[in-house]
Amino acid sequence: MILVLENYGQYTHRIWRTLREIGAKAEIIANTTTIEEIKAKKPSGIIFSGGPTLERAGNCWKILERYEEFGIPILGICLGHQLIAKHFGGVVDRGNKAEYSLVEVEIIEENEIFKGLPKRLRVWASHMDEVKKLPEGFELLARSEFCEVEAMRHKSLPIYGIQFHPEVAHTEKGKEIYRNFVSICKS
Amino acid sequence: MREFIEEKIREIRETVGSKKAIIALSGGVDSSTAAILAHKAIGDKLYAVFVNTGLLRKGEPEFVVKTFKEDFGLNLIYVDAQKRFFDALRGIVDPEQKRKVIGKVFIDLFEEVAKDIGAEFLIQGTIAPDWIESKGGIKSHHNVGGLPERLNLKIIEPLRDLYKDEVRELAKELGLPEKIYRRMPFPGPGLAARVVGEVTPEKVRIVREANAIVEEEIEKAQLKPWQAFAVLLGVKTVGVQGDIRAYKETIALRVVESLDGMTANAMNVPFEVLQRIAFRIVSEIPEVGRVLYDVTNKPPATIEFE
Repeated sequence: MILVLENYGQYTHRIWRTLREIGAKAEIIANTTTIEEIKAKKPSGIIFSGGPTLERAGNCWKILERYEEFGIPILGICLGHQLIAKHFGGVVDRGNKAEYSLVEVEIIEENEIFKGLPKRLRVWASHMDEVKKLPEGFELLARSEFCEVEAMRHKSLPIYGIQFHPEVAHTEKGKEIYRNFVSICKS
Repeated sequence: MREFIEEKIREIRETVGSKKAIIALSGGVDSSTAAILAHKAIGDKLYAVFVNTGLLRKGEPEFVVKTFKEDFGLNLIYVDAQKRFFDALRGIVDPEQKRKVIGKVFIDLFEEVAKDIGAEFLIQGTIAPDWIESKGGIKSHHNVGGLPERLNLKIIEPLRDLYKDEVRELAKELGLPEKIYRRMPFPGPGLAARVVGEVTPEKVRIVREANAIVEEEIEKAQLKPWQAFAVLLGVKTVGVQGDIRAYKETIALRVVESLDGMTANAMNVPFEVLQRIAFRIVSEIPEVGRVLYDVTNKPPATIEFE
């Protein structure tokens, strides 16, 4: 079971729907759910949804602080991606230009999360803030004309961040990205 | 899909038991589907209330009464409240305020009817994007907020986890007419959301006619957008008509493609089609002098203007 932590984003439910469509069990839970309750659900993976502000990211921070108690794959989307970057010492700030709707992303490092995808992907994004500086111990997976860090992963832990929204219907091959994450959770 | 239908019918039947339930039927795909599902479950114990707000599309009230009362045999209660809505909307400009006022009049009306019926359950056609957007504070939604508490009604939302495309499939499966399950989404506040600024019967009449032209021409061109509609911008611009200076209303056209309404792109409508729509709107509606096409995606814009 994959848990989706609700950070009050517009597309949280789309994440749930996409997972349901590819046959993965998933549940959306409030980001105020305690660590003990989250652990009791025995998730195989956790997704941090997007949302309006890092200040309302609730216990997503705690999950990262106490990551060794979980040890499972984590995927952060949009705000979720930014909070992972911030937690690990990266810099998050207002981008030079906001990215809304269609963005062409260049995949630099295929990795397991982007496995089998073309090198250039037409995706949909919706954000003003962005990761300005990659945290230590992370590698860059994708970038775009307007945003340097479109995707990243931890070098040794299964922790991934994606700035755009693979869960919305307009993102090319978005479902494949979730399918890849589900396989990572299974392995 | 079959399983889903059977499961929901069973759920509604078990929950309602021998009591009565009401539903606010708008004629849109969501409430229509919820109504038919509930009708299958509890038959005449379901009372469908249809309110003519004066803010509906051309021909809609007649169509809803015919379809649900005559064809499906629902217990349909028709309420003509056009005047009440327009009176309440006088002088109101802010979009959120408009939604609130419409919501309040609707609730008051619905309360009067619900009391008479003595129902214990309220069935709503809420779908996933409704509660998602309300929760995020982007827009307030028009369902019947506040009423369930006042009347002590228990809410049943059989479509809560579905998206529009899934509801359409369900509607088709339930035997609803194509005109309903293919129908474009229409906002809760109706044409009031398509008039920027103050809503008057006159402005609604203009936007209703323009909207009917847009729908007709899009269908004639065999385009299949998610939504296609007209918005009255409330901005007057200058024209020249038969050598005479004109100073008239501006209509914006919005045609978008989407799977579920959560993200949408402005459609690449052939220029001839856009021009035909513009030509017809300006020639058939004397108050309008100019037509614009909106090319913004969602995000950053929403599909509707208000």
